[in-house]
Amino acid sequence: MTVFKNYAETKNKKPGPLSGLRVLEVCTLLFGPAGPSFLAGLGADVIKIELPPAGDVTRSLNPFGWFYKEQGPMFMHINPDKYYLALDLHIDMAQQIFKELCAKADVVEFNLRPAVTNRWNIGYEDIKKVNPGIIYIEKNGFGQWGRYAEEDRPSNDGAAQALSGYAWMSSFGGQPPLKQSIWICDVYGAMMGEVAVMAALHHRKRTGKGQYIEMSQSENIMRAMGWVWPYQQVTRTHAEPSGNRDQCICPADTFLCKDGTFAALAAPAPDEFKGLCAAMGKPELSGDARFKEHTERLKTENALAILKIIADWAVTKTADEIEKLGIKHGFAATRLHTAKDECEDPHRRARGAVKEIDDPMYGKYVDHEIPINMSKTPPKHRWTVRPVGFDNDYIMSKILGRSQQQIAELYGHGVLGKWKDQQGRRPPSDWDGQSGCILRR
Amino acid sequence: MADYRRAKWAAWADHVRGQDDPAKNFEKPEALDDLVVIDISSRSLAGCYCSSLLAELGAETIRIEPPGGDLVRTYSPNGIMVKDTGLAYLQEGRNKHHVTLNMETAEGREMFKCFIGAADVLIETYPAGKMDAWGLGYEELSKINPRLIMCSITGFGQFGPESGRQQYDYDNVSQARSAVQYGTGEVLPEGKTVKDMPWAVPTKAGPHIAWAVSGTFGAMGILSALYHRDNTGEGQAIDICTPEAYGRLHDYQLMWYAHAGVTAERFSSLDTALWLYGFYPTKDGGVFLGGLRLEMWKAFVDIIGKYDEWKAEEWTTLAPFMKKDWQLKYQAMINPETSKYTSEELTAKSVEYAKSGRLAPITPVVAEIVSPWKAMHDENWQDRGMFTPVQDPVYGSIICAQSQWKATETPPRTKWACRPVGYDNGHIYLYYFGYGPVKIKELQDKGII
Repeated sequence: MTVFKNYAETKNKKPGPLSGLRVLEVCTLLFGPAGPSFLAGLGADVIKIELPPAGDVTRSLNPFGWFYKEQGPMFMHINPDKYYLALDLHIDMAQQIFKELCAKADVVEFNLRPAVTNRWNIGYEDIKKVNPGIIYIEKNGFGQWGRYAEEDRPSNDGAAQALSGYAWMSSFGGQPPLKQSIWICDVYGAMMGEVAVMAALHHRKRTGKGQYIEMSQSENIMRAMGWVWPYQQVTRTHAEPSGNRDQCICPADTFLCKDGTFAALAAPAPDEFKGLCAAMGKPELSGDARFKEHTERLKTENALAILKIIADWAVTKTADEIEKLGIKHGFAATRLHTAKDECEDPHRRARGAVKEIDDPMYGKYVDHEIPINMSKTPPKHRWTVRPVGFDNDYIMSKILGRSQQQIAELYGHGVLGKWKDQQGRRPPSDWDGQSGCILRR
Repeated sequence: MADYRRAKWAAWADHVRGQDDPAKNFEKPEALDDLVVIDISSRSLAGCYCSSLLAELGAETIRIEPPGGDLVRTYSPNGIMVKDTGLAYLQEGRNKHHVTLNMETAEGREMFKCFIGAADVLIETYPAGKMDAWGLGYEELSKINPRLIMCSITGFGQFGPESGRQQYDYDNVSQARSAVQYGTGEVLPEGKTVKDMPWAVPTKAGPHIAWAVSGTFGAMGILSALYHRDNTGEGQAIDICTPEAYGRLHDYQLMWYAHAGVTAERFSSLDTALWLYGFYPTKDGGVFLGGLRLEMWKAFVDIIGKYDEWKAEEWTTLAPFMKKDWQLKYQAMINPETSKYTSEELTAKSVEYAKSGRLAPITPVVAEIVSPWKAMHDENWQDRGMFTPVQDPVYGSIICAQSQWKATETPPRTKWACRPVGYDNGHIYLYYFGYGPVKIKELQDKGII
């Protein structure tokens, strides 16, 4: 498409699609904060509100002790492109300030246990009074009602993987359920929350009406599990996992190759299956009664038979050779990619999917772009995270018009706060005391 | 549903339920019922999932298939078909009208252009260049309808050095290409080979998640483009590449490699970056245990009666537990303890600890690792309307997972599960083109629909 010519080089010259939208977030960990970051990437102004002085728990998290300039790398990945306000919402005066901000916002997002917002006097009914058009979303483990919610069960990504049946379906048959290495129920839930928010924005544009949205992370992932549910209804048996074999598509699996690496391939369509059989030097298989039609090939014993034939062939080829044969013969195939590929792959680099962020506080570092390319309004990841309460003065002056003296009083009352002298909360040790500050340097 | 002790804040729960119970969904307006969506996706369920999201929000969604149906119709475990439809598509045909159109004919392509005149959104999943070759690329279509939002979801994207690859996008291949699969799976012990333990390999995740993720990024792009269009009147093209989209969920691992040269290897059901966080065995299966704050980890140790023996009182930080060797050491110490209980007993202990434990109300997350069978029959989800069957006029009563969220004003909803191939040709061609039965017969005879 010519509209994407020089896309990565020219995207900064165009606005984001949500320019002018203001979003408040009172979230911690991953499920909550990951969502507003997508809106920020899409051009909205997102204000992350943390409880001072420790702020978001994710600031402490790290893989095997690795930090980036004392900051948790997942905090950086999950929370970019936001403004940082630290407001102690336990205090009445802070709740009042929060309401003032809500009156001037479009969206507000929470991931607290059920009924906590109500206890803090910032529940939907309270906020609706100051802004009837507000889109108000609460995300957590079990929603706001029902048995699990009322038992006040805590939740997180791993719990949702466990309770939804997702982990069960992601393992090999006969083996224990397998937890994902990524926080799928957190981040996928976060994405879906923003779909809900943007749909509500469209309704607000048409009617002026805001709304309240609640999302459970287990329920969200169950919706994505598709065929599992009618399968259990129709067959009256448990859906069972099948490792790397896609039970709905045949052939579709991951294979061990000659060089000890792995390749994944899929070839269900007639042209693809013919191509694969030709690549294997067994063109006659595409006419075999067991394999000719896709629905016949999917029958478990036929599927296992053809996959065995492919496995015996795959192990005589390198993963790269299989990928090249896929291109030549028109079936889908790839060698297994690693983080190295993710980082260095010229295709991803040329597309700007992996980019170098030029941050005033943390310097240059590598991160993912928002994986949505839009010809007129490209989403953009621009800067990274800030210490707890870093943008307090800017937000209080720009949006609420508070004077420096008033702001000082709010600090005095503990309504506003700043970072604790602790890893992940304070600025990086090489910070010059100025870079990144907006209002005053 | 079995009785349970109501929370102190039960009034709040009742209040919210009164406003957003899905049982009342059909009394409420729909967010996107002013939109027309055309879904011409092929072989990939990413496009169908994307259009499902819009259709559940009320958009009039027209699914265009080739005569005979798209390949996705056949996607089904063991080849099971309900009438003419496989179980995977029986979930993602929801709320859509289904028509057939032969895009290989010039007349079919002209009719497609007429749809574009009426459409707000077009979703397609052909390898890049296919729509252009038909004369139906974004440049052409935007001349017919400048307000059109066209979303392409593919394996290699619309630009970049590999975008010319003419391979279709499949979930398992995109999972492998995302870099996520590489670091997921059981660890192969030293001295063992893949032949000994064929399950100790890089492992993809559950049903079609890469497609669901790219389809959802597609929906985010479409809805944000709609926001822009509401303000400016202009449409645009959107490009989603499934391995990139799913790979976006790879979190810190890209940074870890770029700045420390580390490639995260498989770590079974533990977590490279979190403690306490993993799957543990029980008498009758397993549980997920989570306690990302020191107090929650201590509370767990207290629950299994090891608070004094392991000297939990003296722990002041979680930092040492984040290290790989400590994770493995403590995993080995925890396994025999959790194995003394059933999953239900451990869950109950955690709920009870929140009330009366030494560190109450702090308690660890304990969640039974259930089969989808158990999840589907769990009264909590049933009470919340997750598995309310759809009463489909053609396919009968079908259990679909219901929508992802609940809302007071415009909740998503499912009206029907699917339609047979070409079932809506009569209605849709009459409505959009004024073609009656005679004309439709003529088009059928020519192999156009």
